[in-house]
Amino acid sequence: MTTLRVDIVACEGVGICAHLAPDIVRVDSWGFPILAGTPLARGEKRQAESAVRACPHRALFLADD
Amino acid sequence: MTHAPSRLGAVALAELFDAPMLMRPVHYFGTGTAITELAPDSLREHERRYGPRPVCRDAVGDALIEQIERAELTGRGGAHLPSAVKWRAVRRAAGVEGAVVVANGAEGEPDSRKDVALLELRPHLVLDGLVCAAETLGASEAIVWLHENAHAARAALSRALTERADLDEPRIRIAFGPDRYLSGESGAVVRALSGGPAIPAFRTVSSAVSGVDGMPTLVHNVETLARVGLVVRGAACATELVTVTLDSTHVVLEVPTDADLQAVITLALGALQPQAVLIGGYGGSWRAWADLARITIAERSLRRHGLSLGAGALRVIEHNECGLQCAAGIARFLSEQSARQCGPCLFGLAAVAGRMSDLAAGGRRSRRDAERIGRFVAEISDRGACHHPDGAVRMVSSALSVFADDVVAHRRGHCLATGRRT
Repeated sequence: MTTLRVDIVACEGVGICAHLAPDIVRVDSWGFPILAGTPLARGEKRQAESAVRACPHRALFLADD
Repeated sequence: MTHAPSRLGAVALAELFDAPMLMRPVHYFGTGTAITELAPDSLREHERRYGPRPVCRDAVGDALIEQIERAELTGRGGAHLPSAVKWRAVRRAAGVEGAVVVANGAEGEPDSRKDVALLELRPHLVLDGLVCAAETLGASEAIVWLHENAHAARAALSRALTERADLDEPRIRIAFGPDRYLSGESGAVVRALSGGPAIPAFRTVSSAVSGVDGMPTLVHNVETLARVGLVVRGAACATELVTVTLDSTHVVLEVPTDADLQAVITLALGALQPQAVLIGGYGGSWRAWADLARITIAERSLRRHGLSLGAGALRVIEHNECGLQCAAGIARFLSEQSARQCGPCLFGLAAVAGRMSDLAAGGRRSRRDAERIGRFVAEISDRGACHHPDGAVRMVSSALSVFADDVVAHRRGHCLATGRRT
């Protein structure tokens, strides 16, 4: 089971993740990502991976539980 | 299982039964030291009161973890997590390198004084618990973590450590963090003791596995450790340590676990019928007095009512005090005390505190504030690296529901509690 997670301390609210993975990331009133926290569905994995790669602060990561 | 030694006098035993940790109420005013001068137990007085501490190596240590589990000891820093689970996790992770045990006495909660009262009166009981933990877990290091301005507690502890210098037990050192709300958050304690700043960390591994300098680490609140000091002697501890606050006066009390809130407030403040109580500290919940008075103070009972005792802080407001104003002030404090690391906390709490101030100030401008706060709260919850923002939004949400009538009145230009125009 893979989940998209964020190190919220490292996150600076750049917001690229929400553009690249609109189905799994939305942003709050201040531009920081809100993640579903549930295991990724098959179709979501590619979006999640591109968001992880694009994060300039390396705050996003995939966690295997 | 050991029992309280028979050389305790009859009087001492009666006291132990009623209030094994504190014995009597302690008053504090504002941020100052205790109003009545507190004389810390000397090692001799301590041993006369409680009897000698059983050494916790090998089988005795195993038995202690069982005793802790049977006593249903939980974390008194506020989280109320089962202590036995923590001990076992550290023990599992501790290999040949050993572990680190920390007594957390950095009492960041502005309405709590029970930890300093305990350190100032019963330093040896706390140290007993810490030494028991160190022996049981094979710790290579034992540390007491304090706020740098906790001078009285520090003096009491230093004296106690000097008295214990000749005992055959692990060495204990005292370390200090800044006087801030979050310096006592367990992740912040671990980070600071590893040489970093005293602010919470984003963690994917618990400190029981990888804590101070990567070592398995047990961080326990000082009251939790004092309770370990009692449990190891086979003494029952059917009491709660609480701090009742009215305005700037804090009363630390040890009350029976089966006392209801009415009894607790009466013991602390006399015959007073409050308007509402903030239960569980600044990150706790407001509750109207009528809904609270008959509830038993035990954590299990409070949980059934959607509440938690947290670190035992109870702030009382009277009928002529504006609850919204009070909640707005606390929200402002919590926003200012953010470690400023996580966006939802840094920006979110500032937004919530700002809207709460507007709402407390009242008038037409505050028309949509409650609605906006509701939206922010939903966005902030459960998103920080620590639970600081969660506590803040819990306090604010409960204020909006308990003082709902006053939210409407403030909007219309007056305050129900104070009678003043807003």
